[in-house]
Amino acid sequence: MSEKIIELKGSVLSLTVLHLHSNDIAQTKAALAQKIEQAPSFFVGIPIILEPKVELKDPTYLALLVEYLHQLQMIPIGLRSQDPMVQSLASYAGLAIFPEDHRRPTVQLDTAANANPMSARTPASPPPAEPSYAPVVLDDGLKSALVIERAVRSGQQIYAKDRDLVIFGSVNPGAEIIADGSITVFGKLQGKAIAGSSGATDASIVAKQLDPELVCIAGIYQLADDIGSEFKNSGLVQAKLAKEQLILQCL
Amino acid sequence: MSKVIVVTSGKGGVGKTTTSASFSTALAMKGHKVAVIDFDVGLRNLDLIMGVERRVVYDFVNVVQGEASLKQALIKDKRIEGLYILAASQTRDKDALTLEGVEKVINDLKADGFDYIICDSPAGIEKGAQLALYFADEAIVVTNPEVSSVRDSDRILGILQAKSRRAEMGEDPVVEHLVLTRYNPTRVTAGEMLSKDDVVDLLSIKLLGVVPESQEVLNASNSGEPVVLNHDSDAAQAYVDIVERFLGADKEHRFLTEEKKGWLNKLFGKK
Repeated sequence: MSEKIIELKGSVLSLTVLHLHSNDIAQTKAALAQKIEQAPSFFVGIPIILEPKVELKDPTYLALLVEYLHQLQMIPIGLRSQDPMVQSLASYAGLAIFPEDHRRPTVQLDTAANANPMSARTPASPPPAEPSYAPVVLDDGLKSALVIERAVRSGQQIYAKDRDLVIFGSVNPGAEIIADGSITVFGKLQGKAIAGSSGATDASIVAKQLDPELVCIAGIYQLADDIGSEFKNSGLVQAKLAKEQLILQCL
Repeated sequence: MSKVIVVTSGKGGVGKTTTSASFSTALAMKGHKVAVIDFDVGLRNLDLIMGVERRVVYDFVNVVQGEASLKQALIKDKRIEGLYILAASQTRDKDALTLEGVEKVINDLKADGFDYIICDSPAGIEKGAQLALYFADEAIVVTNPEVSSVRDSDRILGILQAKSRRAEMGEDPVVEHLVLTRYNPTRVTAGEMLSKDDVVDLLSIKLLGVVPESQEVLNASNSGEPVVLNHDSDAAQAYVDIVERFLGADKEHRFLTEEKKGWLNKLFGKK
């Protein structure tokens, strides 16, 4: 099998957005300098998105601002604006264009109604067909399983939040594995396994060998002593809920 | 390139210090320059087992706290060329060690051209044990063939994977070796001890060697001579095997089965 060289993946990142309430470059620079003086090291190397809140009359404003941010060791990476003129300036300044924030509460949209229609504060309702938008990845949909490619040892705890957990290795006595989804162990499960920890009753636990201290699905559990010896160390075993009972089954 | 090796186990009394002493002695016998550091501050065993307890002027804590130079504190072994011991202090506790101080000592030893720096860890999983393993490149996990010792070793392996410098810096993980001590094949057959395979299966790390339970280990400790120097004993041969395997030799594991004793042997044998 050939190794992957590259992989494109969507990701939701938290970025700092710089709101610009002035179109005067000298004024903006002075305000920035003052802000940064309060915590100089905090701003070093952080990626910044620019969001003009007023009409930018000066065509050199963006280029000068980007230059100044670089001087301050910040990294301007993009711009958020609906204004086509500002967008064209952005591409000259080497900035990516991000779409407007659609999740803004409507109250704010009302206050923007009296603004200049050309300004960036124009409400972003029905987005025009703008091919230059960067793709946006929303924070919902499928989350892939958390994969652990080693043994989970005594005293270690692994929690797969909102996702399944797959372990290529053994779960040793004294270890604890927890998932909001299902758990699969391609090894010997000897510690505690808790699937559906936030209440998912359709979660299941599958292990190549099973001799656990505890198995639990959505709060319903069995201890080592409750588990029939026919399931222990007898090959692939699945645990799931049926009628609020934890049922073990050799596969 | 010098290598830092921690000898650790989690559980006490399994043979960490015995292993540290014999392992470092055997490494030095192979011509390497070896320093062995006793991290068990407050208890101090290594110097007794190495037979240098009457030559300790300055100890590890003195060096860490800058009260003595490394040169003053390193005790040169009189039997083996290239073997040096850094004793622990009996009058302090483990809080006397600091991460920066330990780092400086290890870096100084590296700069002095030591090939191997063996850190003899205290029992437990607290600060002393964590300091001993923090700078390790490789780890020798000493385990007895019984459930609680294996469980503690499992725990310490987890700590190695999470709290060593290599783990924190995201470098290649610490290389883990298993040394099974106090192995008694007769009791394994009788089902009173875990077998080698049980332990390896659970810990899932590479077995470096099995040291048989032996009266000579106790005798050696009492006489202040690492057991590896008692060439006739099984334990000594086991430690020589361990070091040779560690250095890359491919040797078959020994001392795994009961010794066959004829009735003549039983009558006239040593024991």
